[in-house]
Amino acid sequence: MTETTQPPAQAEAHRLADGRVSVRLYGSLDINTMGGLWRELDVRLRPMQALGLDVDASDLDIRGGGGLALLHCLKAGGFSPGAVVNLHGLNPELEEILRLHAGQDPEEDQTGQRRPPSVLEEIGTAARGLALDFREQIAFVGSMARAMAAALFHPQRLRWTEVKRLCIAAGANALPIVTLLSFLIGLIIGFEGSKPLAQFGAQIYIADMVGFAAVRELGPMMTAIMLAGRSGAAFAAEIGTMKIDEELAALTAMGLDPMQFLALQRVAAGIFLTPVLTVYTMFTGILGGTLVMLSLGFSLPVIYHEMTTRLCVGDIGIGLGKSVVFGLIFSAVGCLRGFQTGQGPIAVGLSATRAVVSSIFLIIFADTVFAAAEFLFSK
Amino acid sequence: MIISVKHLAVAYGERQILRDINFEVHRGEVLVIIGRSGCGKSTLLKHMIGLFRPQQGEVWIEGENIVSAEGDARTQLLRHFGVVFQSGALFGSLTVAENVGLPLGEFTNLPEAARNYVALSLLKVVGLAEAAHRMPAELSGGMQKRAAIARAMALDPHILFLDEPSAGLDPVTSAGLDALIQELSRYFGITFVIVTHELYSINAIADRVIMLDEQTRSIIAEGSPAELRRQTDNPAIRRFFNREPLPGQTIQPSR
Repeated sequence: MTETTQPPAQAEAHRLADGRVSVRLYGSLDINTMGGLWRELDVRLRPMQALGLDVDASDLDIRGGGGLALLHCLKAGGFSPGAVVNLHGLNPELEEILRLHAGQDPEEDQTGQRRPPSVLEEIGTAARGLALDFREQIAFVGSMARAMAAALFHPQRLRWTEVKRLCIAAGANALPIVTLLSFLIGLIIGFEGSKPLAQFGAQIYIADMVGFAAVRELGPMMTAIMLAGRSGAAFAAEIGTMKIDEELAALTAMGLDPMQFLALQRVAAGIFLTPVLTVYTMFTGILGGTLVMLSLGFSLPVIYHEMTTRLCVGDIGIGLGKSVVFGLIFSAVGCLRGFQTGQGPIAVGLSATRAVVSSIFLIIFADTVFAAAEFLFSK
Repeated sequence: MIISVKHLAVAYGERQILRDINFEVHRGEVLVIIGRSGCGKSTLLKHMIGLFRPQQGEVWIEGENIVSAEGDARTQLLRHFGVVFQSGALFGSLTVAENVGLPLGEFTNLPEAARNYVALSLLKVVGLAEAAHRMPAELSGGMQKRAAIARAMALDPHILFLDEPSAGLDPVTSAGLDALIQELSRYFGITFVIVTHELYSINAIADRVIMLDEQTRSIIAEGSPAELRRQTDNPAIRRFFNREPLPGQTIQPSR
């Protein structure tokens, strides 16, 4: 940075008869030339194991405060442990500045010291974190249930314009990606099913396979997973940022319940838009599979007939029922993770990630419960 | 002179923020930019440090025009100064010492031990050594500002730009920060350009003051704090230094 007329800072070191070492520093010392001098002193002085250092800095041109850190390190015995160091040749002003660099090191200070935690401590901290997280989830479910009950009895309290905005942001804007993915998945199921079914001359059953998969499983689950990744994370990030900016505290201070003011609208949007999007996903998924069947030579009436013979309204009902639950899960989890946001810019990203991971896990877990329940009750 | 601002003009769309700003900063001085909220102080500072490009004008820092500097020349020029933002802008994922050591690791060839030592030394200079291993979120507002100053000083800058250093701080912490600025100016010869509207800070630290006006969007006064305080014939300056409300902003008691 600084234009130097002198050579970069260097050192000459000579061992004296009494076991002391004489060091002469010269040249220009700034933050750029300091690295070389630091290495030189480290390499030369450490092996000498001097009893004392006699440092002459009178030919040293010190430019900026960074170089003083090196002088302080030298004076404190950083390059010659155990040696008594006599530093001279500095003008009184620099001596005074050097004083600013002195002070208690944080390693000696209990308040600043960081000791790596033991395995037991880490297990304990993790277990405590899980327990606290579980407790917060229970409290959140309770608060959400109360807020939803209140909204059922007093629907005018729900901010419908906000619900509409969220439905557009989280639902309508997600249409392109939902269309593309569900259509492609329909195609994949069709293609993957065609070969094994061809061995039995049963390719007509691709229609049943695509129909069942799109209506009962993939439609609701894929929609919910896409919404969890896209909108659940956005809910967590929005609420998390509001928490960091003390907007949640401001709401509470005004006597407004953040749960009712923020979470309820998002959960309502999630519950309304997920079934709508699911119906759309079912349709585009079936469209993808139908295209495969058309390419295999089946006519549209045959495909339609086969699909409607097996699929019934109850299947669509099951798919839509699941989608309502999945919508509740991703939106509520997104809000919960947002409310749990800690401090600092990392916290928002962490909340968004946790929202997606937790939502996907809970959606698949809920789907398993649905499948098991249906299996048990259909016997 | 170390900084020269020439005919600087800034507009956001149709809205003129700064109009024909001209001033110079001398080496080693503490220049304070003052003015009411929204008069363009922080905008001026952000244009001086090259964060934004003005519609018109030049900002010369140590003989280089930051407005037109590109590539390596710009990178080199940026190393001549440090910036302390209003929020401190410490990186939340790094400890305080890591924050201070970050520019050393990126721009110097210092070995790791040296980087750590310099970072710790700088934290000692700003009186924050005990917080070296803490995360920024664990620090108070005043401590964050101090840590940000230490980080800005890491590469031995010739100039430090500070945006509202006292904002949100209590008077004691604010006075401590003022003392630190004076100490750094005296010991290290750093030139300071500070944006503030804290009257106590202005009187305590400023060698020279320039005042921006939110009506004309230009500099309406320049001089020492004492000189500006004496300009009572200018209502904008008088109101600022005497903390007078605008006419019509006070509720008159009914008779």
